[in-house]
Amino acid sequence: MPNPEDTSRPRLAAGCRWAETNANERTVLFPEGAIVIKGTGRDILEHCDGQRTFAQIVQELEALYTLTDVQKIRKEAGNFLAQLREKRIVDF
Amino acid sequence: MSFVPLALIAELTHRCPLHCVYCSNPVELQKSASELSTEEWNRVFQEAAALGSLHVHLTGGEPLARADLTRLIAGARAAGLYTNLITSGIGLSEKRLQELLGAGLEHIQLSFQHSREDAADAVAGTRSHALKVELARLIRKQPVAFTVNMVVHRQNLDYLEEILAFAEQLQPDRLEIANVQYYGWALPNRDFLLPTRGQVEKSIGMIAEAQERLRGKMRIDYVVPDFYARYPKACMGGWARRLILIDPAGRALPCHAASVIPGIEFEHVQRHSLEWIWRESAAFNKFRGEDWMAEPCRSCERRSQDFGGCRCQAFLLAGAANATDPVCSLSPFHAVVEKALQGSNRVSDNMHGRSPSSQTQPWSYRLNPR
Repeated sequence: MPNPEDTSRPRLAAGCRWAETNANERTVLFPEGAIVIKGTGRDILEHCDGQRTFAQIVQELEALYTLTDVQKIRKEAGNFLAQLREKRIVDF
Repeated sequence: MSFVPLALIAELTHRCPLHCVYCSNPVELQKSASELSTEEWNRVFQEAAALGSLHVHLTGGEPLARADLTRLIAGARAAGLYTNLITSGIGLSEKRLQELLGAGLEHIQLSFQHSREDAADAVAGTRSHALKVELARLIRKQPVAFTVNMVVHRQNLDYLEEILAFAEQLQPDRLEIANVQYYGWALPNRDFLLPTRGQVEKSIGMIAEAQERLRGKMRIDYVVPDFYARYPKACMGGWARRLILIDPAGRALPCHAASVIPGIEFEHVQRHSLEWIWRESAAFNKFRGEDWMAEPCRSCERRSQDFGGCRCQAFLLAGAANATDPVCSLSPFHAVVEKALQGSNRVSDNMHGRSPSSQTQPWSYRLNPR
């Protein structure tokens, strides 16, 4: 499965949603399962609202982490989203 | 020890328009007059969520037979539960589908009996296949997670390739192919349903190939028949460790079949809180931990992985609910399973691969509660 394009608008897939929040981790519910998402994964996924493009998400993450290595963020966030798409938790 | 009922299985009714010969409902069905009310179910959903449940599986019987299903879905969502509807589809129209989705339904699991209409309808004991195909198309147009469930057995495993292609064109997110398990109505029909070793081996290869080919497009989960396994399944993740089932009359059980085990008092949600039933009731504690285990489980290094297998199957096949599940190759009762397998593999040449209607011996169809 390829990573998202700059113009992709990643979002939680149909039938997947956030459960309740606590300080450090959030849970995504999907058919027959749930996955705890924390740290940078949570930051990435919380930006995936189906409105923002992948390019915007990378930009905002860059600002969030005050990192200069945009290519690294793009690659890691892209891989993470591609993995979740394979599990049918994310769509783009 | 602190166990959490991660999923609540809500058997809303035992009424069902289908009569599948392998129905997992108990043979002793709950009558429609004893069904829990909307308010009682909605309280159960709140209590389950408070105990840590994440998912509710709305099932039956046929859950669409409950006229208040929309309100039950809304109640489950209000409690924070992820809502899954396990259905034959009979009773669903486009309008009703919209209502259920509007109430917050998130996942629909639609069952099929075969890729071929005549064979499917023969298993279900009623005409239903064509309608299900139509419903699958309606469901797929909606933003809802969609699983196709296909039960497989001796009579349809030879059609597995065709079944996979059939399921694929329905475009579900997930395909669950589950071999029949021998509880409820399936047990008396076992001789018709138990696949041959050749069928099972071939199916595993075909499923693996399809999983690889459809990766990222459609997830395929395959439930293999435990009669052919060397070790038993960790049934329900262990007795009362991860799941709680409420039957139509409000009786709390650790699984679909446990009511067959004699001498256990399963409590009702009308009389006790779900928390008390889960944590304190004798029934739910009966096979937790390891103290109840007999040999060879008691000293087996696999005991913390499979918990000795299924308590219901131990009772049904060995006559003792605390025995090692007889499907285990280490069980002193394993001969019972061997014997069933011998029978299945001996008659294989002239029986499998035909629709049940072409057979001389009758099936026992699931009946309906009064």
